Amino acid sequence: MAIKLAWRSLWRNRRRTLITVVSIGLGLAFAVFFICFAEGVYHQLIEDTVRMQAGHVTVENKDYQAAPAVDLFVADAQRLRARIGTLKEVQKTKLVVLGQGVARSGTGTVGVSVMGVEPSVEVGMSVLPRHMVSGRYIEDSDEALVVIGAKLAEHLHLSEGKKLVLTTNDATGALTEALYRVAGVFRTGVDEIDGYLLQMPINPARRLYALPEGSATQLGAVLWDSGDQSRVLRRISTMLEGTPDKAYPWQEIIPEVASYIRVDKSSNLIFQGILLFLILFTIFNTILMSVLERSREFSVLLALGTPPGLLRRQVMVESFFIGLMGCIFGLALGGGAAYALQVYGFDITKLYGEGLSISGAFVSPIVHAWITPGTLFWLGVIVIGATLVVSLVPMRRATRVNIVDELR
Amino acid sequence: MEEIVKISGLTKEYGQGEVAVHALRGVDLAIRPGDFTVMAGPSGSGKTTLLNLIGGLDRPTAGDVSIEGRSLSKLSMSALSRLRRDRIGFIFQSYNLIPVLTAMENAEYVLMLQGVSTVERRDKVRRILKEVGLEGMENRFPREMSGGQQQRVAIARAVVSEPALVLADEPTANVDSKTASGLLDLMSRLNQDKGATFLFSTHDQAVMKRARTLLLMQDGQIAYAGAPEDELCEENGE
Repeated sequence: MAIKLAWRSLWRNRRRTLITVVSIGLGLAFAVFFICFAEGVYHQLIEDTVRMQAGHVTVENKDYQAAPAVDLFVADAQRLRARIGTLKEVQKTKLVVLGQGVARSGTGTVGVSVMGVEPSVEVGMSVLPRHMVSGRYIEDSDEALVVIGAKLAEHLHLSEGKKLVLTTNDATGALTEALYRVAGVFRTGVDEIDGYLLQMPINPARRLYALPEGSATQLGAVLWDSGDQSRVLRRISTMLEGTPDKAYPWQEIIPEVASYIRVDKSSNLIFQGILLFLILFTIFNTILMSVLERSREFSVLLALGTPPGLLRRQVMVESFFIGLMGCIFGLALGGGAAYALQVYGFDITKLYGEGLSISGAFVSPIVHAWITPGTLFWLGVIVIGATLVVSLVPMRRATRVNIVDELR
Repeated sequence: MEEIVKISGLTKEYGQGEVAVHALRGVDLAIRPGDFTVMAGPSGSGKTTLLNLIGGLDRPTAGDVSIEGRSLSKLSMSALSRLRRDRIGFIFQSYNLIPVLTAMENAEYVLMLQGVSTVERRDKVRRILKEVGLEGMENRFPREMSGGQQQRVAIARAVVSEPALVLADEPTANVDSKTASGLLDLMSRLNQDKGATFLFSTHDQAVMKRARTLLLMQDGQIAYAGAPEDELCEENGE
């Protein structure tokens, strides 16, 4: 009977109920859409960054993090790579040699970040090869070819085919120099990348830094699903026991990006909290008004011998129904919009212009939302749960009537 | 037979000190099973207050009300609620049907509270709705019925659970005289055929004349208790 009374009572004032349901739905749709949009940005940022750098899980020498230096390399990188590659969660492994140097052309000098990579791996993995603006990306067989960023090229007045000299200290500490030609120029729009990054094939990088064959400063594992990161990290750490190497999650390798995501999520939480408060206030207002309008009816029910608990249950069920209808509407609308954005993406250069970066990390111009059943489920649970909490006051009010006065 | 209702020294005051209103002043009353008792009197004489106290809807300032030997003052709020559910039927002046429930659902409401099975409930309600002349209107909502029809549903709701006592606060006040007469016939028939005990309050002379026992209330006391003489009814009714 409580359910029947609750459902029918909602439709006594059809307009008010519909307005409330639509308000809840729009608020929730807004929340769902922007959460999924934000998750999409984070997901894309993480994927682009880890694939351009050293994977979701990175193996380095234990002392490398404290003081990065080329002589702190992963010694048995090839064998370790083979073992890591057998894990089903791992999509690809990559070896990277990271170092510093000074690039010099006929017109100037610039300090650069040198990244020795496996071009055949990078082509299917990193965003960089897709952002060449002139020339071509490097290939595994290239010996003295490099790709540089557009700002670096501009600074040194370099273009495809031009020469540059790279000067650095190798793993033994000796000063070394080598001559390279520019195979191509890339533009990501991120100043930190375009102005300072120089990539070359990994073998020439090893020779430049006097590293043994097969070694690398970083061994990266790129995963099919970033959700498997913890499990993979544990397994790789087990493999590394007794070695001078250690496995790190990407959050420790690229802390600026992790920190940005953390801070952004916190500020989003505040925004979502405000939205939730507005949704709940709407529900509270509607239910309380509905209860106050029915004081006489509740008095009659109490006079007939209705247990107060049954009346309170009726009010709670009314709140539940309103919350549920609003939820279904909001999740369908917001989820539908987020799904469309997940499938088709949105070109954020229309809003922010070219070259958007976050904490020095590249952000793809086409952003896709990231919608998961878990997101929708938990948002629905939160709204309905909070609805039930918010209905406590109207519930109590329903039974705190003076029967005699109301029936007078 | 023992009284269904026994009242001794019943007093009800509202407010305190100089602004205190003495709604009832030491009322004594006994109502036997099968009584058809009508309370009359001017507004403010204490009729509704007395009904509310007998129905356990309010607590007296002093004195005691017993229903079937159970003192209401010794009962908790939840026990009073159960007593009202099981032993007392209410008929209100403004019908007070639940607008979102049909005639059937309104009438069966108390039976539902008592935990009577759906089949038995529906069967009892169909019979009582037929008795009150509403056969075929089970699925109508209050907004689809006249005042008289709504009051018949209210009467059905009050008597379907065969309570010990039916309290009616001016049940014919909001209907025309012809309908009122019909309602009185109905309640009188229920009293005679089923032995339902009725206690009314009214301003209506016609109702007063149909009483088996007439109580005249004046300033919170029972000024007269006895047979409904025509003169008395005309003096105190409308």
